[in-house]
Amino acid sequence: MDREQIIGKLKAIVKPYSTNEDAYNHLTEDTDFIKDLNINSANLVDIVLDVEEAFDVVIDNADMEKMLTVRASIDVIESKLV
Amino acid sequence: MIGNDVIDIAAARRESNWQRRGFLKKIFTIDEQLVIASSADPERMVWTLWSMKEAAYKIYNRHTGIRAFIPHWFKCTVNAADKGVATCDGLRFYTKTLIEGNMIHTVAVNMPDNLNNVQLISPTAIIKEANLLPYTICQISGQAIAASRSHHGEFDLSVCIASH
Repeated sequence: MDREQIIGKLKAIVKPYSTNEDAYNHLTEDTDFIKDLNINSANLVDIVLDVEEAFDVVIDNADMEKMLTVRASIDVIESKLV
Repeated sequence: MIGNDVIDIAAARRESNWQRRGFLKKIFTIDEQLVIASSADPERMVWTLWSMKEAAYKIYNRHTGIRAFIPHWFKCTVNAADKGVATCDGLRFYTKTLIEGNMIHTVAVNMPDNLNNVQLISPTAIIKEANLLPYTICQISGQAIAASRSHHGEFDLSVCIASH
């Protein structure tokens, strides 16, 4: 799976938690879940759990800690898929 | 320093399912999970502990400049009067949680005496500038003092430490 495919899958995961539609529609690797998409921090846990299910990977605490942006999340997912 | 976090339980019910498999394990320490499981009102305990972690994180973030999703770093204990302590990285934060209707509001400070000097202020009194932490101007001294704002659902609360 390449980065573009990962970002596509990730974009679908964060959609129900995003409350800034404009930022969501212009999502890039630089997008910050909290600052840009206005995602409630409690929902970051849901994103981590959804990623685990959708990509069939295990996200440990050290990985979860970084997952505040699209880029960091893709990096974590990519490292698990190799 | 001060940090606060408010939770609207009605909004939390719409936005989160804390009973989801794996949810509690990602956020809470083993000890905290035991406290939740043995609580008479687990939902209230989940959000009380969560608001403690969030309020303490705001101070931690200011103090260290570290920005990360690290709720599990904050080890929280809370007593029957909703006063608590959160520790992280050898730092200690003192908390007081007010629960009223659907509102759970925690204020965290780094010096325990300051819990008695917390003042609610208008959200419009908070000044937020680029690269600066939120602050407010003390009406008496005219000095800038650290402030914190939190909003969730129908609640929007701002606090500072009164200097007098």
